[in-house]
Amino acid sequence: MDSLGVLLVAPMNAYLEQELDRRCRLFRLWESPADRRDDYLRAHASSIRAVVPYAHQGVDAAMIDALPSLEIVSSFSVGIDRIDLDACRRRGVRVTNTPDVLTDDVADLAVGLAIAALRKIPQADRYVRAGKWKSKGDFTLTTRFSGKRVGILGLGRIGLAVAKRAEAFDCPISYHSRSEKPFPKYKFYPNVVDLAANCDVLVVACSLNPETRHIVNRKVIDALGPEGVLINIARGAHVDEPELISALLEKRLGGAGLDVFEDEPFAPEQLFELDNVVLVPHVGSDTEETCRAMADLVLQNLEAHALNQPLLTPFSGKRVGIIGLGRIGLAVAKRVEAFDCPVNYYQRTKQDHPGYTYYPSVVELAASSDVLVVACPLNEHTRHIVNREVMEALGPRGVLINIGRGPHVDEAAMVAALLDGRLGGAGLDVFEDEPNVPEALLGMDNVVLVPHVGSATHETRTAMADLVLGNLEAHVAGKPLLTQVV
Amino acid sequence: MVAPSPDAGKPLVILPRPLYPEFAAALDGRFRFVLAADADEGNAAEARAVLVPALTPVSADLVARLPKLEIVVATSTGVDHIDLDACRRRGISVTNAGEVFSPDVADYAVGLVVAVLRRVAAAEAYLRRGRWAADGDYPLATKVSGKRVGIVGLGSIGGLVARRLAAFGCVIAYNSRSPKASAPYKFYPSVRELAAESDVLVLSCALTEETRRMVGREVMEALGKGGVLVNVGRGGLVDEAELVRCLREGVLGGAGLDVYENEPEVPPELWGMDNVVLSDHRAVITPESIQGVVDVVKANLDAFFSGKPLVSQVQL
Repeated sequence: MDSLGVLLVAPMNAYLEQELDRRCRLFRLWESPADRRDDYLRAHASSIRAVVPYAHQGVDAAMIDALPSLEIVSSFSVGIDRIDLDACRRRGVRVTNTPDVLTDDVADLAVGLAIAALRKIPQADRYVRAGKWKSKGDFTLTTRFSGKRVGILGLGRIGLAVAKRAEAFDCPISYHSRSEKPFPKYKFYPNVVDLAANCDVLVVACSLNPETRHIVNRKVIDALGPEGVLINIARGAHVDEPELISALLEKRLGGAGLDVFEDEPFAPEQLFELDNVVLVPHVGSDTEETCRAMADLVLQNLEAHALNQPLLTPFSGKRVGIIGLGRIGLAVAKRVEAFDCPVNYYQRTKQDHPGYTYYPSVVELAASSDVLVVACPLNEHTRHIVNREVMEALGPRGVLINIGRGPHVDEAAMVAALLDGRLGGAGLDVFEDEPNVPEALLGMDNVVLVPHVGSATHETRTAMADLVLGNLEAHVAGKPLLTQVV
Repeated sequence: MVAPSPDAGKPLVILPRPLYPEFAAALDGRFRFVLAADADEGNAAEARAVLVPALTPVSADLVARLPKLEIVVATSTGVDHIDLDACRRRGISVTNAGEVFSPDVADYAVGLVVAVLRRVAAAEAYLRRGRWAADGDYPLATKVSGKRVGIVGLGSIGGLVARRLAAFGCVIAYNSRSPKASAPYKFYPSVRELAAESDVLVLSCALTEETRRMVGREVMEALGKGGVLVNVGRGGLVDEAELVRCLREGVLGGAGLDVYENEPEVPPELWGMDNVVLSDHRAVITPESIQGVVDVVKANLDAFFSGKPLVSQVQL
């Protein structure tokens, strides 16, 4: 990619900068004075084909307009909220991000903060450094972490990684999330206050949205109680911070381990004097290794683009969720990748496909996808795997594609969701009661209906016939069958 | 004439130093306690048991003063503060805290691993001094997940450390006197070899003549400038002066230390280093551990005085 002109918007990572300099034609935006950047962009407009932004400085419509040769935006971040995606789509500019590389770091820190808060590790460190062990004796009694009841708010990828770690400390795990997940070992609470009342350590690990803002309010904090400890490694706004401070000051809450705050980089100064809190400055994913993995993803995406290969972590296409990553599911994934669609999937166990994002439940998969494709075999576990809840998670802008079997989908619920506008649209090759198709679908203009023709091509039918003949011949000749099922 | 003591007839137990209140309350009324320093000839001639609060030394002299001594009941996991040779020669039994401290020590070891690699204590100090707002983001730290962790001593504590860090996605290996058939981790026959193949070295073995100062400069060099040493065993396992030198020279990347050679002395050179996390030999100090050790001590004393098998006898 020697000839690829790459604009780096700020000095975000030394390794990334060095590698871009070595492997591309690098343009450093910050080298021109802030008021001369338009001139800088104009001067290099014909050379710059790629932009690398990050969480603190994105790419707006004006920059996209100023760069007529721009082909790809490869962001050094997970979130792309500072990239004008619509402008990119209009111009056909590809976008990539760096998903899924920080899960372990954040989960490691969450458990580390829980131990540090319960066992007062930084406090003991300060005590020893001040020479007080010798002058005043042993520091103080603290509480055991092993075996404590750990409650997790949000059992997504980070929440699950926290659960896995805490399990190794013999901690019983419970959780709250929008819906119950398929983890019978973990107890589900449909209500946050009940979760807090039944755990010793509450870990906030959900995403921030209007429903989860201040999800940890006074009621939750009081339910957690004077022996309870709150760990927040998600976003500051999940917690009503003034309520948290007063609870800690009044000893209505036992302690806290906080990586995030409402008004960063400012942490409330009332907390600085408290001995029952551990405070770190939003370092959840700030490790050399993770930043390097993010830099490598940026570089690999740029390289793939330059070589005209599928992007590793595309963000610009629709997010495609696939239920069942078997042969058909994988073939679907390979095809949609070429459209820069990020691929998510659900399967009973995680598969070895680092480019695709695994979701442990269909509801989560649907909530994180724009298009949901059913590609799994039909059995007792997968009958009606796409139910009302899944379709609601897919939502009014989501599209359901069924090329599996009709009974995978609760057809009556689907018809109702389409009629009510709770589901955006559907493409259906299969139906529950073939050859009958629900009448209500026939009049809709947001569905595409075909009569179970998934494999109905001359070429495929000939190949299938050849296989039937081949199996019969092998049987007669006493040779191994070609495609034995039973 | 002196009135008969209400304790008369209760078994006599000699204490090298006074009991902690938790023990006194739990054992109240069951035994006759006499401080070693206060013991008269009659006590010394009669005593069959010694109870050792914390890490109070039990010397060969004390053992020699008690001709009928049959058991030394320790309240710790390690028994390096007891003159084991003297006990062995006399056929005296020694009991320890068994496994009651293991979860707390293992938790603390994991807490120190995360705290050192992720710079929790230093990042905390940075924030509390108001530097986040003034000076910007704290520098990058080191990932925990995926690190190669070497455990020295795969006993009850080492086994729990291994299980916990395996859940963090760490790759576990170990050194001990002999390979453990049941352990699903790679065995290294020497600490130096283990250190050379590890990013983090956790010491959780007993302090004996063989293990004293087992971590010297050679082991720290093998661990290397990105390596981290975590000690929740005993200070005497490490050549402390060499540790300070290695940290100062950058030969070793960092350390998490709960124990020291000469407690409560901590080398002042460590106080100014932000790649170390220090604590005051506190890994076991929780109400849960204290309750556990009280129960074990009670069980051992009851078993001894009623002639039943001891619950946590140390192999001498």
